[in-house]
Amino acid sequence: MSLLRIESGSFAYKNGPQILKDINIEVEPGEILAVLGPNGAGKTTLLRCMMDMLHWQSGRSLLDGEDIRSIPASKLWRRMAYVPQARSAAVSYTAFQTVLLGRSSRIGAFSAPSGEDMKVAERVMDRLGISHLADKPCYAISGGELQMVLIARAMAAEPEILVLDEPESNLDFKNQLIVLDAMTALAAEGVACIFNTHYPAHALQRAGKALMLSKDGRSIFGDTTSVVTEENIRRAFGVDALIGEVETPHNIMKNVVAVGISGEDQAKQQEIPVSDKDETILASITVIMRSNDRADLINKAFREYNHLLIGRMGLPHRRSEKYIISVMLEGPASDIEALSHRLGLIPDISVKTTYE
Amino acid sequence: MSLRRDGRLGAVWILILIVLPFIAAIIALGIGRMSISPGEVFDVLRAALAGKHAESELIEKTVMQLRLPRIILACLVGAGLSVSGCAFQSLFANPLATPDTLGVASGAAFGAALGILLGFDLIGIQLMGLAMGSFAVALTWLAGSGKDRGGLSYIVLSGIMIGSLFSALISFVKFAADAESQLPAITYWLMGGLDKANYRTLSLGAPVIVAGVVLFMLIRWRMNLLPLSDDEAKASGVNIRLLRGITVVAATAVTASCVTMCGQVGWVGLLIPHMCRMLFGNNHLSIVPASVSFGAVFMIIVDTMARSISAAEIPVSILTAMIGAPFFIILMRRSGGWRI
Repeated sequence: MSLLRIESGSFAYKNGPQILKDINIEVEPGEILAVLGPNGAGKTTLLRCMMDMLHWQSGRSLLDGEDIRSIPASKLWRRMAYVPQARSAAVSYTAFQTVLLGRSSRIGAFSAPSGEDMKVAERVMDRLGISHLADKPCYAISGGELQMVLIARAMAAEPEILVLDEPESNLDFKNQLIVLDAMTALAAEGVACIFNTHYPAHALQRAGKALMLSKDGRSIFGDTTSVVTEENIRRAFGVDALIGEVETPHNIMKNVVAVGISGEDQAKQQEIPVSDKDETILASITVIMRSNDRADLINKAFREYNHLLIGRMGLPHRRSEKYIISVMLEGPASDIEALSHRLGLIPDISVKTTYE
Repeated sequence: MSLRRDGRLGAVWILILIVLPFIAAIIALGIGRMSISPGEVFDVLRAALAGKHAESELIEKTVMQLRLPRIILACLVGAGLSVSGCAFQSLFANPLATPDTLGVASGAAFGAALGILLGFDLIGIQLMGLAMGSFAVALTWLAGSGKDRGGLSYIVLSGIMIGSLFSALISFVKFAADAESQLPAITYWLMGGLDKANYRTLSLGAPVIVAGVVLFMLIRWRMNLLPLSDDEAKASGVNIRLLRGITVVAATAVTASCVTMCGQVGWVGLLIPHMCRMLFGNNHLSIVPASVSFGAVFMIIVDTMARSISAAEIPVSILTAMIGAPFFIILMRRSGGWRI
């Protein structure tokens, strides 16, 4: 059973077109799901329906198999937390008081935060590296800092699912990284993250799963590598884009470059090109773990793709306390790419794949 | 006396907030046409508490029958108006939302004026005030809060509209009133004054104000959720509609009770909460008790001035505006504004 699932969700605003049609998604603990789509395709609407802030016209959201609408609000919001867009957030309190508000569902109507609540708030802020902001009023900090405070507020509820509405919009380069890194780190600790984004590259670099919405209400859901493709980007956004790879010392990262607005006739083409990626090939993946913290995540990924493995070698380097893992694989190119992508999402490790 | 991180008041502030109204009240009990020293005031109070009579019957009557009910009323009205002003500001996430700007006060005043016109007794006048005050705030809410709740000016603009609508209705009541007896009563009453205070009026209006203030004190941490945007508020896991509903009903009831007991006393609901926000930040854990205490003290001071500056009594709303406006401008310029 999935942690969070949407079953054939559909939605239209009053007197408006059907903006969400038959949405089906599944999210497991520790997964990151990116929701992509052009302006007006219903990204925020999807999140709001999913959390029952708007009501699905048909279909439903399930948390651990239970319809979200039948879960009392105080229970639901201990398991799920929402990070609104920074520009629609209330900013009258200090950062610390804002984070404390995240504890609301655990604090009685006639009581104030306890020492325990304070400790949780302090711990969350410390973990996100924003303790120095604690006593500053939220209207006096930068947009990136405010976004981190809002994430901290959500995390103060100690949720299993974090829903973020365009967390990296309106932020500069560095702050985007800070926010995305924070999300990646939370996911590595087992929190399921669902975020809206305008950047296909962020989906490829951060999310294991993706949901792409088009303006006509259609949607594609699946592994990010199979959803965020040049073809799908062209159909959903009407943009000709190239997906390339950038090699860093640690990693190979996918990137998306928009090269032009695609022509009308091209955009209307609907046929899916036949994939030539099911050909069986050989490959090897080498992983260097900079600490032992991520061993579980790596092993989990290998277990899931066990059928590809033909050889595996693990070498602890005792002096530096680092680990090197090397695996040999044989299987469909698309599967190997999916595994390689999956490993690439894990923080604090270096991963590279060599193809035959 | 620096601010605490959790938004609670430090021990020193708690002491100040509790003691200050009592000091103000005891000093005010001694001020007036007949000057009474604090020592004598203490003697009278001690005697009264013990159920005995004081040495001088004149002093006892002045303190216990004339000044004390009036000071209790000032205390309640000041605390009530400023705490409901604080609640309205947070509810509408708008620094200018107060009982005056939302039309509640005008609505309640209209209700009370109508009650006087129809010759109702005190209970009737209070009920009319309460009903019309609630009606006015409901109209303002309907007119001003749509999809875009964050729009600062919307709610205040519609409050001004509703307020002027009810002001017009008040004028209509005056127009219709009997010029010999009712019109002066209504006009004088509208100017605001605490001179009608006696234990009977108090016993009618006080319970509502006390209940409202106690309620706000109890839910004061949760009131921190009021200024949040709709989605944020829902995601807190708290029943935000219930919280908003309780807040608006309680704040309206308190305001209407104040207005029916002493007319339209402006400025308190705007000035005092802002002063508290400037001192303590926006956390309701501290600004609710601070508003209650400072509101009471402010009102005691203003009312004492109103009855003792000149031989004839000055309507208290004239004084609140004359003290309030410049004081407020100074505060605003010093602190560089505010955010809610």
